[in-house]
Amino acid sequence: MNAAVTGVGTSFFGKQPDLHPNELVWRAVAEALAEADDPTIDAIYLGTVFGSPGVAQRALHHMGLTGIPIITVENACASGTTAFHEAAKMVELGRFENVLAVGVEKMTDNFAGAIHPESTDPEGRSGLALPSLYALAATRYQALYGLTDEDLARVSVKNHGHAVHNDRAQHRTPHTVDEVLASRMIADPLTLLQCCPIADGAAAAVLSAPKGSADEIVVRSSVLKSGGLWDYRSEHVWGFELVSATARAAYEAAGIGPTDVDVVECHDAFTIGEIVTTEALGLAHEGEGALLLRTGHTTVGGPQPVNPSGGLLSRGHPLGATGLAQVAEIVWQLRGDAGVRQVDDARIGLVETMGGGVAGIDGNACVVALLERT
Amino acid sequence: MSTMPDPRPRVRADYRTIEGQFCPSCRWRTFSIVGHCAQCGTPMVATEFGPAGTVWSSTVVRVPVPGRVPPYAVGYVDFDNGPRVLCHLDAIETRPPVGARVAICGSTADGDVLVELTS
Repeated sequence: MNAAVTGVGTSFFGKQPDLHPNELVWRAVAEALAEADDPTIDAIYLGTVFGSPGVAQRALHHMGLTGIPIITVENACASGTTAFHEAAKMVELGRFENVLAVGVEKMTDNFAGAIHPESTDPEGRSGLALPSLYALAATRYQALYGLTDEDLARVSVKNHGHAVHNDRAQHRTPHTVDEVLASRMIADPLTLLQCCPIADGAAAAVLSAPKGSADEIVVRSSVLKSGGLWDYRSEHVWGFELVSATARAAYEAAGIGPTDVDVVECHDAFTIGEIVTTEALGLAHEGEGALLLRTGHTTVGGPQPVNPSGGLLSRGHPLGATGLAQVAEIVWQLRGDAGVRQVDDARIGLVETMGGGVAGIDGNACVVALLERT
Repeated sequence: MSTMPDPRPRVRADYRTIEGQFCPSCRWRTFSIVGHCAQCGTPMVATEFGPAGTVWSSTVVRVPVPGRVPPYAVGYVDFDNGPRVLCHLDAIETRPPVGARVAICGSTADGDVLVELTS
């Protein structure tokens, strides 16, 4: 793929009710533009789910970003990565030279507790909050594969451990398995410390054509798919087939496989989400995702660290911003700029975000992107 | 609460079955009232599903959701002759096991499909 990431930036992620969304965007975009040596931006894609109409232009015109195409996209939790994907594609196609991808969400303006699907859908109208949707996947996995409560808790322990070294993350306190399991039950078997917290935040990336120089961060591939029907014929838990199909297409486009990946940022909104996703990404066989945690395979220091940033579980999940925060973490990792949480000699990184909420399909959207340091 | 049409499965007056549709061409089934088959586009035909089914998965919701009072148990139920439906389970505060047999026994006060354990 003919696109490179020349700059990334993020705000702090956390509950920041006194901050205007403009301020969150400014902090992320200013950092990304400075890293990219302030190129002339030709177009902007901005991902948000709950942003008010005009959220992109309202923030960006204060930075002099006017008179160019600005496109706002919504794809549930994958909104930020959808903006990234479209920006990369436009650079590759030659439609624009330098494209800014932005994600922003002010969650504290919209939610005090669990996110729930729209009441226009059967699940939302039936009182199913998002944690319960993932809890249904966890219950199914426990029955099918013998996944234990402790296995689920290990995701939270690992990612909170990683976040200790991420000063942009909301929760930086390490936790034990016992502490995770003793936290308040949200939807059986998922406890509070297995659910991502509400957060406000923004993140951004600048994409341009590769220059062919050493140590560039290039996009090897990026694939966006929406889910097929999920109904009584579906053997897999919700989301598995969508992530799996998107990942297969991304690996094929990049000409690599799961074993070539050095570091992963994936959608761990709930602990079961990381286990299912690592299987769908091909890091483990189906039903064996827990082994990655038991053996330390996906811990920083292991062969294929997953969510070295601390993931959504620690950073928090401002829906539209999350995907680009994942991109930023992978770029920092590939450059060797991740500090104490640095993955040794990371050369190929994978970003995965999956968003859902529409009943009857396997997910609203999934993006899998493979980035490489040349 | 939304003013949109209620998208949930409709329990019939017998309190034992729900309304639904099936495709006369590819046999795809759904509780949603839709014009055409999502698989092949054929016009759908009205039918009914239930009462018996198997729990595909389950959980207990313990956090507040607008208009609801937790805790309450919910589960995806694969009906023997029909689709997978999100149902509420009556008076259960623990997860019914995957594979348990259930049957429709009415509606909740909030209008959800209500099932009870039969095994």
